[in-house]
Amino acid sequence: MYKLTDAEELELKKRAVQLRKNVLAIIKAGDAGHIGGALSATELMTALYYKVLKNIDPKNPKREDRDRFLMSAGHKCLIVYAVLAELGFFSKDLFSTYFKLNSKLPGHPDMHKLPGIESNTGSLGHGLPIAVGMAVGLNIDKSSSKVYVIMGDGELGEGTNWEAAAAASHHKTDNLVVMVDRNKFQLGGKTNDVMNFEPLADKWKAFGWSTRSIDGHNLKEIVDTLTDAPFEKGKPSLIICNTLKAKGISFLQDTAASHYWKVSPEQVVQAEKELDAVAKELGA
Amino acid sequence: MSDKKDPRKTFGEALAEAGEKNSRVMAISADSSSGSQMTMFKNKFPERHLEFGIMEPGITGICAGLATTGKIPVFATIAPFVTGRNFDQMKVDLGYMKQNVKVVGRCAGLSYYHLGPTHQSLEDVALMRTIPGMTILNPGDPVEIKAATLAMIEHVGPVFMKIGSDPMPVLFDESKYKFQLGKGITMKEGSDITIIGTGTVLCRAAEAADILEKEGVSVRLINIHTIKPLDNELILKAAEETGKIVTVEEHYTNGGLGGAVAELLAQNCPTEMRMIGVNDQFGSNGPYDELIGLYGLLGPQIADTCRKFLAKGKCSCCGG
Repeated sequence: MYKLTDAEELELKKRAVQLRKNVLAIIKAGDAGHIGGALSATELMTALYYKVLKNIDPKNPKREDRDRFLMSAGHKCLIVYAVLAELGFFSKDLFSTYFKLNSKLPGHPDMHKLPGIESNTGSLGHGLPIAVGMAVGLNIDKSSSKVYVIMGDGELGEGTNWEAAAAASHHKTDNLVVMVDRNKFQLGGKTNDVMNFEPLADKWKAFGWSTRSIDGHNLKEIVDTLTDAPFEKGKPSLIICNTLKAKGISFLQDTAASHYWKVSPEQVVQAEKELDAVAKELGA
Repeated sequence: MSDKKDPRKTFGEALAEAGEKNSRVMAISADSSSGSQMTMFKNKFPERHLEFGIMEPGITGICAGLATTGKIPVFATIAPFVTGRNFDQMKVDLGYMKQNVKVVGRCAGLSYYHLGPTHQSLEDVALMRTIPGMTILNPGDPVEIKAATLAMIEHVGPVFMKIGSDPMPVLFDESKYKFQLGKGITMKEGSDITIIGTGTVLCRAAEAADILEKEGVSVRLINIHTIKPLDNELILKAAEETGKIVTVEEHYTNGGLGGAVAELLAQNCPTEMRMIGVNDQFGSNGPYDELIGLYGLLGPQIADTCRKFLAKGKCSCCGG
């Protein structure tokens, strides 16, 4: 388990604000986008890419000994673009092409258009099965690489997730760590109203996973937990990450409407002001 | 035609042979190892055989993930469950992601003649044809099944191969046979009419060609083992030289081989066609030969369709 120092936590908080600014910059170029899930997963992505994932190398994105990250809820790809650009996988100049013809930043990620993307997601329920295949393959090769996945909570309705959950457990993929971004909203409203999957942790436990539940915006807790996986030898790990949809932008936060945001210029100015204020407060 | 062989067993033998040649080959089972004849592979390479139970969409994604680590997964099970049930995974995880996974739909077409439409697979080619980059193989005899199995594993990219389950007659001489992916085989030259057969009913097309030949008709017989990419050159040449094209397949007449040939000809060399297969109806059930006979797929029936086509010379429905 890796314990963040206060200084490291502060550093990561500054990174997280920058990533939120990147997300906003991309959306501004296209006037719309899936902002809610991108911002609820921002701290998870910050922790993963700046503290947890090993051998992530923008100069050699296909390094064999790299840890793999898959964004199963592909509509959260803006935060993936935000972090990969920040790390130098590609230029931030690409942000302005978002939603333009043949852009390398489509509304769902394409591994053949950008370096650093491990799978083409968007159609829900695909990321976890692919991740299980990767984890099984890496185990066969006796690799020490791990596979990390962020899933949406609305995505849990897809049956393939539960097929993969059984398979991961059956094949003892303890190199697989899955985070459910539990922001509690999906397109049509609150997840528990649309289709209730509670008690969620019990379901994963029943499928043979080792589970924990954390505050998905608390960087210390995220890093502690991710670096403690596998929680049990021989079992895949599942972390329910309690988050707020569109975290960090007051007028969107914790609303179903933030799922897909059609931007007005006034709102962008307001959102930029809010993020600037947080950055200033952190000394960024 | 000589002796008959079990297409699944032939596939299983070829897979085991491929496993010897290439240690990256893995056999993936959806509770289907014995039914797909992968037991031989499993016994030889137990560590390279993975069982996942009955979860075909999930397994298709798992295969894509395995492929990203350099494995060559060969996933074989009942055809409709690896084309229809998992279509989104075939499209996204294998097609869009361009993953090197080989999917084998066995007992395809009307092979499950007693089990009805849930297990019959008359739309598999139509579905797979819509996926960019997906290679579609439909070998027509045991020699070709073996060659196609080895070739699909050597080919880099997603492949769907369909095989039947009824014993198939040997049509080709193994010592001379060469499989070239994407290239059809002219089995007989002729100038009056061309019959294009594929897969399980290639032997029926060959039987029809023999019948007609004895009646003095000059029949060209083409075997299309690769439906995608289609051998455009060979088919256009046949259309130009014989003027009449008949397609024969154990599949719906829309979207399969007939559809592919019609699309090609309509845009490049409009040619009268007849398409023999199942016409927009769910398959019935009954003994195999009787069942394919319901859809005009027996050799003498194919010959009869050709005869009428040649006699009328024009459209059989409107006489125009």
